[in-house]
Amino acid sequence: MDVGTEVREKGYTGWEGRLIQRRFKWSPIARTGIQLAFRKKRFKPLFAISFLPAFFFLVGIYVAERLEDFRAFFREANSFIAVDPGFFRAYYSNGSIILFILLVLAFAGSGLIADDLKNNSLQLYFSRPLRKKDYILGKLAVPAFFVSLLTFVPGLLFIIFKLIFSGSFRFITEYPWLPLAVVGQSVLYIGFFGLYTLSLSAASRNSRYVMVLVVLVYFFSEILSGILKLIFRSPYTGLFSLGGNLNQITAVFFSQKTPYAFSPVWSFLVLSILAVAGFIFLFRKIRGVEVIK
Amino acid sequence: MTNVIEARDLSKWYGNILGLNEISLDIGPGITGLLGPNGAGKSTFMKLITGLLKPSRGRISVLGGSPWNNPVLFSRLGFCPEIDSFYEDITGLEFLLGMIRLHGFPAAAARSKAMAALETVELAADRDRKIKGYSRGMRQRLKLAQTIIHDPEVYILDEPLTGLDPLGKRKMIKLIRSLGGSGKTILVSSHVLPEIEALTSLIVLIHQGKILARGHIHYIRDLIEKHPHQISVICDRPRHLAADFVGDANVSRISFGPSAGEVVFETGNRDQFYDRLGKSLVEKGIEVEEISSPDDNLQAVFEYLTGK
Repeated sequence: MDVGTEVREKGYTGWEGRLIQRRFKWSPIARTGIQLAFRKKRFKPLFAISFLPAFFFLVGIYVAERLEDFRAFFREANSFIAVDPGFFRAYYSNGSIILFILLVLAFAGSGLIADDLKNNSLQLYFSRPLRKKDYILGKLAVPAFFVSLLTFVPGLLFIIFKLIFSGSFRFITEYPWLPLAVVGQSVLYIGFFGLYTLSLSAASRNSRYVMVLVVLVYFFSEILSGILKLIFRSPYTGLFSLGGNLNQITAVFFSQKTPYAFSPVWSFLVLSILAVAGFIFLFRKIRGVEVIK
Repeated sequence: MTNVIEARDLSKWYGNILGLNEISLDIGPGITGLLGPNGAGKSTFMKLITGLLKPSRGRISVLGGSPWNNPVLFSRLGFCPEIDSFYEDITGLEFLLGMIRLHGFPAAAARSKAMAALETVELAADRDRKIKGYSRGMRQRLKLAQTIIHDPEVYILDEPLTGLDPLGKRKMIKLIRSLGGSGKTILVSSHVLPEIEALTSLIVLIHQGKILARGHIHYIRDLIEKHPHQISVICDRPRHLAADFVGDANVSRISFGPSAGEVVFETGNRDQFYDRLGKSLVEKGIEVEEISSPDDNLQAVFEYLTGK
């Protein structure tokens, strides 16, 4: 019913703003996520401690190269630490580094989407020149930043320090593919742990609950795999372990013997399926508005 | 009049629930009030304009383009949502910087724009305080700051006056009016008629997902005046006050409310009643604790318009 429409003579004022095209639209989201992580209580000491494994491995490289200086401590050893691809594999498959990655992500990544859902911030993001993929990339950049600091940076430092301490390029000529393996391994961890954290963060509005989930789900898969192995005594039960699948692929990257007696292609498939499922879940979960049904 | 927002046969369903029902509406520059009770479809309409929802049927165009999946358009659009959408642990300035950087402004320009927006909403002094320490009014103003920060052409303000104290409301109204006066297109929603009345004379009435009326507020006012208003007064001597109004031509009914000291008047002429009430209170020296209108009669108008 129209109760009377007034004819209004109003001029149209031109817009004085500027249309700006930015290549990395996701970068402000990433920056905010990293800033917020460092504001969390106890995050800074945890983050500092998480570099301890890398530090010990670096000390290991130094000791291995200066074995003569340490003869007094290790009389019987000729080469008690071999800095070769196996050394790198040992770092990346080390339980402590995985634990630190999980703890850092539990603190820094649990609230990435959960807090947006809780604070209804998604409508603010999506009423700006931002697509869903920009939002997800921005959020993904936060775990990527932290995981790369714990994987890519130490891997690179290991190679550089090995070259410095040994005083020759023999190591790199012997294993010219090693830098690529470090990059590949880092990409694997960044991709896996990034999607893993974001998917869990999108599963709840409660970031504390997500924080527990980030650590729990990973170790639950280890326990489940262990139980299944006891029951079925099959190596394929390793496919149920997230860590087991990661270790299989890590072994391939560094040309080492795989921990399970099955093709690493299976592990690659399992992780790929999980990644696709994670992406679909994220895209479905992230909406500008809450849809009431 | 140039139409900035055009809706044609616009419908939106949430599953089986109908949010909007075949709305056709043109909105031009200036302030337009979107008035309707809670659940009327105001927020749904605004979210369709801001591209947060996809129309189920019909089409909507803003500045000549469809807002759905069209992020470039959002540089020219400012949205102030009804509910708070903040990270509590960051400061007001950091929040605004995060928002403006999403528009692609470089750091220096972003900072100056954020500072300007904080000045406009009078929050510059509190820019380094964490949002969790902000009052309700400050939060509302911060929401408006993130709406105006990139100098958009179209403003979509969903219940911007909700929860503000009278002084805060006055400031916000002044601010919105000044934006409207500068030629921007502003669509502002509310479920309280006097709020919209203070902002604009051009209103759209929405109810149960349908546009019931649109036009000058006087038409709506006239409709409302035909229905009696209830005005509740809580004072120290309700009986004396009630006795003073017995036989008053503007008062059709007097009753005592459930609260201690409460007397409820029903009047067909609100303005004259308030004139008389003020005089009566002063003459009799009655101390007033609260005056409120439990029913601003908007619902009555909606019922009238829908023929219920």
